[in-house]
Amino acid sequence: MMAFIPPRLRKPTGIVVAGVLFAAAWLVRGGPLWWVSIPALIAAPARAIYLYWGGGQDTDAGALAGSRADERQQLLSLRSRALACNLAVISAFIGLTVAIAVKAAWWWPFLVILAIASLGYLFGLSNYGALEEPDDVDTGYKKRSPVNS
Amino acid sequence: MRNRVREQRTQRGLSQAELATAVGVSRQTVISIESGRYLPSLPLAFAIARFFDLTVDKMFDPDDEEAGT
Repeated sequence: MMAFIPPRLRKPTGIVVAGVLFAAAWLVRGGPLWWVSIPALIAAPARAIYLYWGGGQDTDAGALAGSRADERQQLLSLRSRALACNLAVISAFIGLTVAIAVKAAWWWPFLVILAIASLGYLFGLSNYGALEEPDDVDTGYKKRSPVNS
Repeated sequence: MRNRVREQRTQRGLSQAELATAVGVSRQTVISIESGRYLPSLPLAFAIARFFDLTVDKMFDPDDEEAGT
């Protein structure tokens, strides 16, 4: 779907969609806090405009915001996301430990986060071929024909 | 790993931006390669070497130990 959107508009579009969904969630929830949807609806386009402007800058951050990153910039982004994911997992583990220790009822969201991260990691290993045996393994030994041996 | 990117570029009177456009990367990446902070991928190393009509081992010297990413 993103292929149909010009590169510089991809991240701003994602921000706007996320902002609208977030605002809609507060509206659907209703109650006295429905007004949270208003700043959400204002903040998302503001952030999207900022990202669009940033996407035109001749910097690493601009290249990432404008979805035109080269291999080094993609590597920077990948490392940053890996760091963010590590911090999220450590935070979730600390949250789970604390929740269990204080006998809180809100322990399970931390467990869900840890489970998703673990499954995602295993899926990544599988998807990128780390769990497969390469099909051109050379043991160094000559293969003998079962007929002649 | 030491490289001759800056030397070759300045010999040909090119700017970092012109080299970046020629090999399809950003100006910041050319700066990082020249300063030895980033080791390019094999395809990019070949692209840079071909651009300067050199071989990869002439362009990038693995025997010279310098910090790189």
